[in-house]
Amino acid sequence: MEFDLEGIVIIVGNYGSGKTEVSINLAVRQKLSGMDVRIADLDLVNPYFRTREAKAALSGFGIETVLPPREYLKADLTYLSPVVAGMIREPSRLTLLDVGGDGVGATVLASLADSLRTQPVKMIQVVNPFRPSTETQAGCLKIKKEIETTSRLSVAGWIGNSNLMDETVAADIHSGYEFVKELADHSGLPLHFVTAEERLLPDIDLTRFACPVLPIQRQLVPPWRRAESMGEIRGPLNRIVSG
Amino acid sequence: MAKILMKGNEAIAEAAIRAGCLNYFAYPITPQSEVAEYLSWRLPEVGGVFLQGESEVAVSYMVFGASACGERVFTTSSSPGISLMSEGISYIAAAQCPAVFVNIMRGGPGLGGILPSQADYNQSVKGGGHGDYRMLVLAPASVQEAAEMTMMAFPLAEKYRNPVMILGDGLIGQMMEPVEFSEELIAEPSNKDEWATSGMDTRKSDKRNLVKTLYLVPEELNEHNLFLKAKYDRMEQEEVRFVSYNIDADYTALIVSYGTMSRVCQTAIDNLKDEGIEVGMIRPQTLFPFPEKAVLDAASKEGCKVAFSIEMSMGQMLEDVERSVKGRCPVRWYGKCGGEVPTPEEVVDVVKSNI
Repeated sequence: MEFDLEGIVIIVGNYGSGKTEVSINLAVRQKLSGMDVRIADLDLVNPYFRTREAKAALSGFGIETVLPPREYLKADLTYLSPVVAGMIREPSRLTLLDVGGDGVGATVLASLADSLRTQPVKMIQVVNPFRPSTETQAGCLKIKKEIETTSRLSVAGWIGNSNLMDETVAADIHSGYEFVKELADHSGLPLHFVTAEERLLPDIDLTRFACPVLPIQRQLVPPWRRAESMGEIRGPLNRIVSG
Repeated sequence: MAKILMKGNEAIAEAAIRAGCLNYFAYPITPQSEVAEYLSWRLPEVGGVFLQGESEVAVSYMVFGASACGERVFTTSSSPGISLMSEGISYIAAAQCPAVFVNIMRGGPGLGGILPSQADYNQSVKGGGHGDYRMLVLAPASVQEAAEMTMMAFPLAEKYRNPVMILGDGLIGQMMEPVEFSEELIAEPSNKDEWATSGMDTRKSDKRNLVKTLYLVPEELNEHNLFLKAKYDRMEQEEVRFVSYNIDADYTALIVSYGTMSRVCQTAIDNLKDEGIEVGMIRPQTLFPFPEKAVLDAASKEGCKVAFSIEMSMGQMLEDVERSVKGRCPVRWYGKCGGEVPTPEEVVDVVKSNI
């Protein structure tokens, strides 16, 4: 199974759902599979752990990364680069917009509404059932509604990003998949893929999943750890690859 | 209860509720605003009070008022906001009311920046407001510890009838880690009849309580200060907390470091060990009282040639490390203040070039 995401893909979700880690890893994998990829950091609300932290890694793969200018890079100012609107008007094969958390973070999309209206876009919500506000389906749907209200766009699908960071075990990936699969069935929206840290892959039963798995190599790490090398990256995992 | 993935700010907020604190007043500031964001929806769920004050000065007096009435109360802010609260903190200490203050530090001075810092060490540890007062200062190094220290802070504040400060750098508030909360609820303060001005009919005692900070008779004010000093001395006797790392090795250097910086140092110590260089570390969990004896003992160990104060401030903790080491070995400082956390590689280089 391939990732079925192309064109302009807007990654949304609640605070700390893992939007940025997912966006970076998806960008690199799709780039390595030969796709032209661009990514824009639209997180205007959260001051730490943003796409900009992985700029060097992304540039190394030839992925164009749109960030605020240097003097505002580490600020919490609502600076939206004019380049983003141009990027939307002339999208590459995969253009990822990594948006800030919750409805508040998605407000930036309303200011891009004029540009977004001219293009087909897909807004996808990342869910981690181990985060406090998305432990239940009702919690996920509440966040979805808030994001839709402020962005004036509709969520078109889900990404399952079940994890407890370093303490994640394979069973958490399995139970997280069941959670987000049920959410997808209940909401009538597709589950595009689920994620799993690379180190967990040997213990994961891929036959359980009816969607691709995006292996994650962590880029957003605390200062006492090194980001994982993204040098050896495989394509999306699925039943055929695993079988 | 199962583990969940939380930001430090969220964990502090949830921990306060589990410690039985249902009163929170605050004014938002990066990088601690998630505490307020979380409690704005969570406190109404549990019948608590969330109120955004018009300023940090106002907030500090809302905290004072609630505490004076015998309510368990806390607030959170970041560096410039804590400066504004310092007046209220001094009043609360003078009036001997319990309260918990959380400072998720950002770079200074002035507006500084929004990235992590430990530059409010002196402000917290030596007393940032006017007058002779002290706060117990707890310094978490992980999200789990931030939650545990928050739960611990309320009974400590009540035990000493004094403000307790939780001092975390911006990363402690912003980073996410798995956290597990104990199911144990903290009981109502048993001693609140000692100070609460909650009305005579609510109390067992028939003693009238008066919350005041004005002492116009010099002998009385001196007496009051002596009483407070005895209390702070008791904290130094009873509340020292620290964690040591690689301290049983035959180390040639000792690092003293706290919070996020200590986790960087821990990685550096592991890397140095791989190169055959042993370094021990004392991580203060309480900054006041400072673990003087632990640092002295560790620096006095045979073979220890040098001690380092490694901090995201310009040598503020260094003074306490020097004071504790009592000249047993030279003490060096390393730190950064712009918001970039020193890397393990930098710490390794600093150690290697000084041994």
